[in-house]
Amino acid sequence: MRRILLAGSLALGATWAAAAPAAAPTLVGRDAPDFALKTLDGSNLRLSEFRGQVVLVNFWARWAGDSRQEMPALNKINATYQRAGLVVLGVSVDDDLRRAREFAGAMKVSYPIMFDTGTDLGRDYLLQKMPMTILVDRSGVVRFSHVGYKHGDERIYLDQIRELLRE
Amino acid sequence: MVVGGMLLACAWTAGAESPAATAAAAAPGATIAAPAAPADAPPAEFKTLDQEVQGLKKDVIDLNKDLFVLEEELLFPANTQVAVYVSMDVGTFFALDSVTVKIDNKEVKNYLYTAREADALLKGGVQQIYLGNLKVGKHEMVAFFTGKGPMERDYRRGATINFDKGVGAKYLELKITDKVAKHQPEFTIKNWE
Repeated sequence: MRRILLAGSLALGATWAAAAPAAAPTLVGRDAPDFALKTLDGSNLRLSEFRGQVVLVNFWARWAGDSRQEMPALNKINATYQRAGLVVLGVSVDDDLRRAREFAGAMKVSYPIMFDTGTDLGRDYLLQKMPMTILVDRSGVVRFSHVGYKHGDERIYLDQIRELLRE
Repeated sequence: MVVGGMLLACAWTAGAESPAATAAAAAPGATIAAPAAPADAPPAEFKTLDQEVQGLKKDVIDLNKDLFVLEEELLFPANTQVAVYVSMDVGTFFALDSVTVKIDNKEVKNYLYTAREADALLKGGVQQIYLGNLKVGKHEMVAFFTGKGPMERDYRRGATINFDKGVGAKYLELKITDKVAKHQPEFTIKNWE
């Protein structure tokens, strides 16, 4: 009996361990939580006002080295697909607003950069590692979510953006 | 939500067994005998089906509205309900950026306005900024307005109201108006009795 229990618990443990990495929470398939934030130029933007367009939201932080590499790639994507109905939004989750503003200004990207200093957005979007990029379809549903960035990921973004733009 | 699902199921069943659907099912013979329709016109069965789909869509919208009202009544019963609205008149001397609402010294809402939302208020729109519950008795509400004032200067003003919450729902309106004589915006809170 004890042996059966042991085997059972080991099997359960193995299943749990195997399932653990895949169980990372994601927003895919759910409505994108709405937010309104101040942008670098002082205006306010609200996510829900872009309903009907495909939206790429890139959460970044000054201290995340990958953000520095990803932002120019997103800038290119924005320049090419903006006319096709894509909206790129950069959201800084830096605590230090002044330095985040300086960093954003130095990156010289053409898409709006917004600043979040609260905690709600990080919780709503299940932010894990910076940068994090999500793609929202025309009806406001999160369709793809990417944690982190490595060179070449922008090709995956492009495939997914094209797919969403075709819908 | 379950109620909604059940009602929706009923509506769907009713739609499927409607006289129109029965007539459409029995129509083939009649369709052949009817005078020839223009080549690009949709067949009569499709028209009926389309009308039924439109009818069902309308039913779903009506149900959704009813559910919304029901949810609001359950979450915010009239005896504890407090609703706060924002309105703006003229707005020559003030460009609205955000509103913060505090009730009994506790922040209940902080709302950032986009250009489109501020424009909607200027066109006469009224926004429900907060809906919550309050106990019967005396309360204090403070609202802070930030934006650009005359000469594009940063502007932050507050308005306070002390009110009695009775057994009925309480409605308060944050009004932004222009004080032409002073060339300044004015912020007031109206207590709707």
